[in-house]
Amino acid sequence: MNHYWNETWKTKLFDIFNFIILLIFTLIVIYPLWLELMISLNDPSQKPIGEVVFWTQYMTLDAYKILFKDSNILRGTIISILRVVIGTTCTLFCTGLLAYVTTIRRFKGRNFLRKVYIITMYFSGGLIPTYLLMVNLKLTNTFWVYIIPCLFSAYYMLLIASYIQSIPEALFEAARIDGCSELGIYAKIVLPVCVPVFAAVAVYLAVGHWNSWFDVLIYNPKGQWDTLQVYLRRILLESEAAAKVSEVSNAESKLRNMTSESVRAATTIVVTVPILLVYPFFQKYFISGITIGSVKQ
Amino acid sequence: MDTKLNVTDKKANLSSKNRSFFQKISHEFNKERQLWVITIVMLIWVFVFAYIPMAGAMIAFTNYEPGYSIWNCDWVGLKYFIEFFTAPEFPQIMRNTLAISGLNILFGFPAPIILAILLNEVRMKKYKKVVQTVSYIPHFISWVVVASIMFTILGNEGILNNILLHLGIIDKPIIYLYEGKYFWTIITIANIWKSVGWSSIIYLSAMSGIDDELYQAGAVDGLGRFGMICHITLPSIAPTIVLLLILDIGSILNAGFEQQLLLGNDQTRAYYEVIDTYAYKYGIQQGRYGYGAAVGLVKGIISIILVFSVNHLAKKKLDISVM
Repeated sequence: MNHYWNETWKTKLFDIFNFIILLIFTLIVIYPLWLELMISLNDPSQKPIGEVVFWTQYMTLDAYKILFKDSNILRGTIISILRVVIGTTCTLFCTGLLAYVTTIRRFKGRNFLRKVYIITMYFSGGLIPTYLLMVNLKLTNTFWVYIIPCLFSAYYMLLIASYIQSIPEALFEAARIDGCSELGIYAKIVLPVCVPVFAAVAVYLAVGHWNSWFDVLIYNPKGQWDTLQVYLRRILLESEAAAKVSEVSNAESKLRNMTSESVRAATTIVVTVPILLVYPFFQKYFISGITIGSVKQ
Repeated sequence: MDTKLNVTDKKANLSSKNRSFFQKISHEFNKERQLWVITIVMLIWVFVFAYIPMAGAMIAFTNYEPGYSIWNCDWVGLKYFIEFFTAPEFPQIMRNTLAISGLNILFGFPAPIILAILLNEVRMKKYKKVVQTVSYIPHFISWVVVASIMFTILGNEGILNNILLHLGIIDKPIIYLYEGKYFWTIITIANIWKSVGWSSIIYLSAMSGIDDELYQAGAVDGLGRFGMICHITLPSIAPTIVLLLILDIGSILNAGFEQQLLLGNDQTRAYYEVIDTYAYKYGIQQGRYGYGAAVGLVKGIISIILVFSVNHLAKKKLDISVM
């Protein structure tokens, strides 16, 4: 950035302070995750959890071994991955198609379709009527309750449509004259040309699917489609219950509590790592996704 | 470029003048059959998954039981609404909702502005990029993970208790998550930690749009570095600030939901219960669908009125529109 103010000792001091404040801020953001990682690797029989501050010299992978012995965790991981992959692909294809249809100028129904979807951004039935709908449609206790109710999204429709509108109309018109069907234009022209916006939306959708747990809780009470997040929450509730007991108990049960704390920390890390792995890869896309939205407004 | 198409369109239009209404419709349909089929499927989806629940909010006026059709239920009028407003928990729920939202606006709203200003003043581009990248991470982390981290830090054998014990500030460990008086502080800190970096993006993009000539002119007028922040940077992003403040005030009844369910427990219920969690507790956990829907409907209606009136006010007084 260019600067036009005069360099004085005051501005230099400000630069130094600014550097330090932002450094502290960055450490505050990172520290809880780092702590969780250290606790998951710490051997609680050697060093109590409360004494792990920055580093532990007693490293062990026991917590991760306990974790992955649990077949439920593996099952939860697979269901989480399936949900992310299928959910993101289906929503992206459907919402993208919706966005494309609302941008075809010759198409008479486009404005009506657009308005019908935009209304859903402001009004919704609320938690209980939606829940009852899922029950009545017999979608509860199925995998599809994660996919079908979120196939279309009005917000992402607007985001993708504003990108499609920035593409020269002639591109689509040429394909139409060549006899390409609208679905063909969508698959062969819109999808490849709009990769940046689709990538941005895909990141949001994938992260949303990976992180969601509440719909799993209410729509899958029987638990056969539990995702990884729900397992972490269950471990959370167990350790909460254990915390109540530990006040009056002896050293042995204290150690057991600490081991369960390590396992919880390990689960937390396992749940977080996939996000951190895709994060740098997609970073340029999600920022561009936000600015696409704001430019049009 | 599309003259050929236009010509055929015109011909079709001319000849269609003599046709009946039905023929016109079917002609229109055949011309773009594929598009219409797609549109109809999309309309069916939105009707089922968005508009049926809207109509389903009507169960707030009935004593709906699962398994029965909504048409066979008894109409109870405003019974559930009156029950909600006169419930002994009602003042507490409203207090919690407004307090948690209020704290979020009071501390969580200025935080990203301050962060954006500090970031904007950084001269080392690489350093700025690193700080920004790190600050976005919490936004992508689920509330379950955040809750788990909170349990680790604030737990009985957690790091906070350990440090305070060593320093002699407390003489026995406190289980912070079991004491209601700490709940609002904890949830506000968690909210800020999760959102501050992400919310700063919009301010940073507003700052990147400021014309460089303004700063040059400021320098000519003798503005120093702090003068430029106060008199150029801040006024330039003021519209963005006002716009986002309006949005925040409009959604003041959305005090959060997942974080309350995950961080709260029976001991802190008096401090964490907000309208949404209350509706969930009665509507789904206890199966009182009519009552839960009534609570949800009250919140929905007030929210809509708030959003529209705040937007109307902003349009009138400030010439800014959110919608």
